[in-house]
Amino acid sequence: MIRIAAVGDVHVDKDVLGRYRPALEQLPGVADALLIAGDLTRHGTVEEAKCMATEFGDVGVPVVVVLGNHDHQSDQQDAVSDVLRDAGMTVLEGDTTVLELHGHRLGIAGVKGFGGGFAGACASKFGEREMKNFVGTTEAIAERLGAALRGLDVDALVALTHYSPVPETLVGEPLEIYPFLGSYLLGQAIDSAPTALALHGHAHHGSERGRTPGGVPVRNVAHPVIKQAYNVYQLLTDTVDAGLTSV
Amino acid sequence: MTPQLDEYLEAEIQRLLTESGATAEQGITLQRREHRLVLGGEVESAQRRDEICRQITAHFPDVEIACDIGIVRAAAPSEVEEIS
Ligand SMILES: [Fe+2]
Ligand SMILES: [Fe+2]
Repeated sequence: MIRIAAVGDVHVDKDVLGRYRPALEQLPGVADALLIAGDLTRHGTVEEAKCMATEFGDVGVPVVVVLGNHDHQSDQQDAVSDVLRDAGMTVLEGDTTVLELHGHRLGIAGVKGFGGGFAGACASKFGEREMKNFVGTTEAIAERLGAALRGLDVDALVALTHYSPVPETLVGEPLEIYPFLGSYLLGQAIDSAPTALALHGHAHHGSERGRTPGGVPVRNVAHPVIKQAYNVYQLLTDTVDAGLTSV
Repeated sequence: MTPQLDEYLEAEIQRLLTESGATAEQGITLQRREHRLVLGGEVESAQRRDEICRQITAHFPDVEIACDIGIVRAAAPSEVEEIS
């Protein structure tokens, strides 16, 4: 069994310092890893990244994150990632990480993702250059996510994004902005591999649970949606953990 | 004179709250009542909530606002969800 804690949209700045710490102190007792689904900061500055590193660093379990749109606001996303990596976090952008937990291999593929919408109301690569760029950006990101997921051979496979792969977890948001909240292309990428769980954020007014057309459980872990410091999800429930066999 | 709480004003305030470096909030809901603008949604700190009201008042001094913005709770969870 593996337990992963997850949250997104923590939007850390000076004024948030200390708010998550009491809950994070309990983390090693309840989860084996912490995954954070983007919008780690408010404006994507180095100063805010340092606050993020202070608040979510040294929590006693591995921390794996993707960036969100807010983390790109100041065009310093690379510097933001560097600060987080220096603090010991794993920052994924189209790549993967594998964690060995109780003898099981947990594989995580992560990308920020982008918009475009969902079947029946999705943007197409047609017309103006700006429109083609918009859809092309999502296509490229989704291709990287799919390839990253398919490249992993692990016991449990998790997809971590900021933007949503399905419309179900957006319910609560105005329908008109769905194309800015996610894309079916991310869902298709997730369904191209034996993914066990897909986590995302970004939709602060969305809903917690959904499923891809291929049947992968999706959870919107945006902080205003889960309304607590993090959620905990249990994977590989029926497996026997190495080192824990009874005598 | 009280400004008309029309769609243009609503759109302007929505963009102000997102694009202003002081707030950078995309998740604030605006509800136009007769003479009052009701603000909803949740933010990460009381300072952010107060800054939202301060920004609106600074840019639109005649708009009467009612602030129902909450602060997102950050307690530890008490339950685990089994994924299958
Ligand atoms: Fe966010
Ligand atoms: Fe976001």
